[in-house]
Amino acid sequence: MNPGIAAAALAVVSVATAVIGFYGLRISRTTGDFFVASRTVRPWWNASAIGGEYLSAASFLGVAGLLLLSGTDALWFPVGYTAGYLMLLLFVAAPLRRSGAYTIPDFTEARLDSRAVRKVTSLVVVLVGWLYIVPQLHGAALTIRITTGLPSWVGSVAVVVVVCLTVVAGGMRSITFVQAFQYWLKLTALAVPILFIVFLLAGTGTPALAPPSENPTGLAPAGWYTNVSLLVALLFGTLGLPHVLVRFYTNPDGQSARRTTLIVLGLLSVFYLFPTAYGLVGRMFAPDLARSGQPDAMVLLLPRELIGGPAGDLLSALVVAGAFAAFLSTTSGLVVSLAGVISQDVLGAGVGGFRLAAVVSAVVPLGFALMTGSLALAGSVGLVFAFTASTVCPVLLLGIWWRGLTDAGAIAGMVTGGVLCGGAMIAGSLAGAASTPAWLAQPAAWSVPTAFAVMVLVSRATAGRVPKTLVRVMTRLHTPERPLATGR
Amino acid sequence: MTRVRVTAPAAAARPVTESREAAQESDVGQVFVRSLIRSQLRLALVVAGGFLVILGAFPLLLAAVPGLAETTIAGIPFDWILLGVGIYPVIGLSAWLYTRTAARNEARYRDLAGDQ
Repeated sequence: MNPGIAAAALAVVSVATAVIGFYGLRISRTTGDFFVASRTVRPWWNASAIGGEYLSAASFLGVAGLLLLSGTDALWFPVGYTAGYLMLLLFVAAPLRRSGAYTIPDFTEARLDSRAVRKVTSLVVVLVGWLYIVPQLHGAALTIRITTGLPSWVGSVAVVVVVCLTVVAGGMRSITFVQAFQYWLKLTALAVPILFIVFLLAGTGTPALAPPSENPTGLAPAGWYTNVSLLVALLFGTLGLPHVLVRFYTNPDGQSARRTTLIVLGLLSVFYLFPTAYGLVGRMFAPDLARSGQPDAMVLLLPRELIGGPAGDLLSALVVAGAFAAFLSTTSGLVVSLAGVISQDVLGAGVGGFRLAAVVSAVVPLGFALMTGSLALAGSVGLVFAFTASTVCPVLLLGIWWRGLTDAGAIAGMVTGGVLCGGAMIAGSLAGAASTPAWLAQPAAWSVPTAFAVMVLVSRATAGRVPKTLVRVMTRLHTPERPLATGR
Repeated sequence: MTRVRVTAPAAAARPVTESREAAQESDVGQVFVRSLIRSQLRLALVVAGGFLVILGAFPLLLAAVPGLAETTIAGIPFDWILLGVGIYPVIGLSAWLYTRTAARNEARYRDLAGDQ
């Protein structure tokens, strides 16, 4: 691709992000504005923002790349990413909003009345966030290398710089506008090129090079265990993601939190049609992209491969812009939620602490991303979901729905899940992808039930530690918040 | 290390419903709260279970009917349509049903608790 066009696309997205961020600065004044936009964001804005934040490098590049490699097996990724939101709606959305907490550690501390639980939750949340930022930066590195020929580190550093500038400038309020804008940008950037390609292929009657069921590489297909374990990770991992949860605090009440989630499900469903279309078209008309060793770059390369000329260049530039929007939005969402946790627990709440924490939250994973090589994006994000599902998810689900949870049970369960899943991730990366057995490569199917079991058993054993505030907290989580006097 | 509670200015704060919470901590209030929690949990489990059954049925259907996966509609193989497109309306419908019924449960609770 023409490097100038790609660079121009990057510059436009970065500048647009910064401008919307600075516009937001003018209306965010208090600490509350910085953290959660004072809970006055409308459902459509909020839903677009959640969609923008959630659709990461894995969704934008990784899903299509994996579909190209593995065919229908990889369709479980978009299905799981979307269905995870259904689980979030069913079990978490309204009670979490009603808890009135800013962050997940706030929630666990309030529910279990324990500072120790807060510390462990904070640690887990920061780990999840850092693990999740790394693949975004790898995606940025890949995009920069493929499209401009510049060294990979330029992409990662550019994302971190833009994110730090926007977050430090405006906090959550401006982030909400930035994210909402980026959802629609991502959707356009995927939809326009693929529709163009499909009409062109249909119009010229180009014959398919391969049937979509044909495996373009010699890789073995995933077994049923891998698919089931992946679904467990995605279904239960989504409801523990820190940057997703912090968004729910910006709804005015529990009912609107549900309405927002309903809109998000619609937005995600529409979005995932397009990576699926890329995967199918790639498999039928450009199977050689799978053999080039960079399937994650498929979305970036397909327009030029199938259209060519200036039109292909322009469409590629649009895709590059969308990809950068994906890296920027997910990273900034994570940085905001991590900064919320770090500043409240370590640096002291307040706007200054929040800004410093934001920089820390972005720079640490940058170092890690620069030191490590990129894996398949959808796969590495899938592992982060497995980690979240083994740690944050049990404490949220049991905390919201089970009166018997104790602080000791919560800590034991989170530590067990974290050690099991983290251990499997480390063992898997040491052994290398080729020689890792499926149960180790995709640990969610056993690490999530174990974490739940430990949490329940230890809570049962320490039943005397059930907090005294239980009745008040459970009432608050589950009852509609409108005062009874009004509305009658 | 000291922690400072972060709050927006009082003007931006919503009316705090202390009286509501106090009323609900009575024994009668708690009966209603517990019944609300139970019905919301049951609803969530039923919707999640139903969705997972349908989700599991999709690959079973493809495996059980030979040749179905390869059937094409407008050039697109049926397994891609089923898993890549067909699942999303199921998710949306489940979510819509849940949201409606959950709000109804809350309305019923509000009527009961308000009549104390």
